[in-house]
Amino acid sequence: MNRERYRSGPLVWLAILGATCLLLFLFQKILWLVVPFLLALIAYYLLFPLQQRLILGGMSRDSSATLVSGGAFTLATGVMLLAFPWISSHLVSWQDSGARYIEGGLRFIAESLAWAERNYTFAAKAHLSEQLTRQISELGDKFAGTYLAEAALTAAAWLPSLLLAPFLAFFFLRDGWRFKMFLSRAVPNAFFERTLYLLDQVERTAQLYFQGLIKLTLLDTLCLACGLWLIGVSTPLALGLMTAVLAWVPYVGSILGCLLVVLVAATDFPGDPAMAYAAIALCVWVRLLDDFFFMQITIGRSLKLHPLLTVVMIFVGGAVAGVAGLMLVLPLLGVVMVLGQTVGGIVTDPRLRARHVFAKELRHRQVTRDLHS
Amino acid sequence: MLSIFGNSKPAQGIDEHEKLSLFVDLNSREMKIVDGFMHERNYLKNEVIFDEGEEGQAIYFIRTGKVLICHQGQTAQAIALLERGNFFGELALLDDAPRAAQARAAEDCTLAVFFRGDFFVLMHSHALIASKIALQLARHLGVRLRGAVRKQQELV
Repeated sequence: MNRERYRSGPLVWLAILGATCLLLFLFQKILWLVVPFLLALIAYYLLFPLQQRLILGGMSRDSSATLVSGGAFTLATGVMLLAFPWISSHLVSWQDSGARYIEGGLRFIAESLAWAERNYTFAAKAHLSEQLTRQISELGDKFAGTYLAEAALTAAAWLPSLLLAPFLAFFFLRDGWRFKMFLSRAVPNAFFERTLYLLDQVERTAQLYFQGLIKLTLLDTLCLACGLWLIGVSTPLALGLMTAVLAWVPYVGSILGCLLVVLVAATDFPGDPAMAYAAIALCVWVRLLDDFFFMQITIGRSLKLHPLLTVVMIFVGGAVAGVAGLMLVLPLLGVVMVLGQTVGGIVTDPRLRARHVFAKELRHRQVTRDLHS
Repeated sequence: MLSIFGNSKPAQGIDEHEKLSLFVDLNSREMKIVDGFMHERNYLKNEVIFDEGEEGQAIYFIRTGKVLICHQGQTAQAIALLERGNFFGELALLDDAPRAAQARAAEDCTLAVFFRGDFFVLMHSHALIASKIALQLARHLGVRLRGAVRKQQELV
């Protein structure tokens, strides 16, 4: 009677990939809800062990959820309130530093282009350095009027939805298990064990993904900080952390992070372009470490995806839903894959369906027993 | 607001008889943690709970009613008839090996179900609770193994 373990066929895989693309498209439309939902999930996984400790200490589930979320919210608010005067006092110097770094980076690019024009005729004919200087000057004139106001409006529109995150995290902590029980109760007895397995796998996939992401960020931060410290770039730890967090957005994030490092290196060593090149080499090296080593032991292992499928789906995600698609595609694919494989396993199992039909007949006979007498 | 989830209380306290078997070492606070993982299911007489050869995912505790353990299609030759307070399918807590026999409701029954995935979660989050359960499970399997050996010796 030993039944073979179910393996998804091409139809199930097509459905999985199609559903992932459709969900990405829909999520892009409700990004204002998806982002706080993801932040709330991260907060939930961070706070859940603490809540469990309180329950073990004798507290009820509801009280422990209230205490843990309230504590975390108060702590975050307290830190922000305490940090506000410090941020205000440093804002002017940060603005100066920002301007200095941008200036240093632009100088580095202009010098590199000038060097290329001196050494290569095609670059000299293209007048790259002259074109770049003109475009930057135009951008500088338009920036405040066009982009700054737009960016401020976008930030203002996003702020209320981001405030949803702590609210959602509280309800995940308080009612997450109720929701799980609610879902499992709706499932017929015949499919119960498979569905429990499904819920467990979905939860485990999400948990491992987010935990893997946090581990990957820590590893990236350490590697970048050590490398930058060895090169001699200022504030290596903060720079490493920012670059590692930017890398959450596949491809685009890594390029942005690399640009950031190059800006700082070019400003710290204005007359030495070799330092900027060393910073680029460091970013590429950490990226390679990520792709071939770190990702395998953190995120890759959690999702159990084929490397080819991973790369193809990242491109598909970018094409369907832009930057949001790049970020969401892998965790979403992981969850949809588990759902698809389990539903496929249930639908294609004639024995389970027969047991369900039999149970329905038994229930029908039980409720109609007195009607025939 | 939570009324949409219906009666969402965790499966109500595992009774003393069950505690004697697998959760005997757990105190009331630890039992509250385990209760949060318990699912309650109702089965009608003759309904199949799990099949022989099926991948095991959970252990079942009989809260009310009786459960028949038999080989598939051989309901007349019962391996065991379990009553309130007994549990079955315990090997599923260890791995996802195929079920060794079929379980059917011998009469209308209510079962509490403890899922292997939740047991693994317990091992990470509450290692002490999980180790107490694992110890009891090992003792239970030891008793069964000794019984099987004794039976075999009697036959020889």
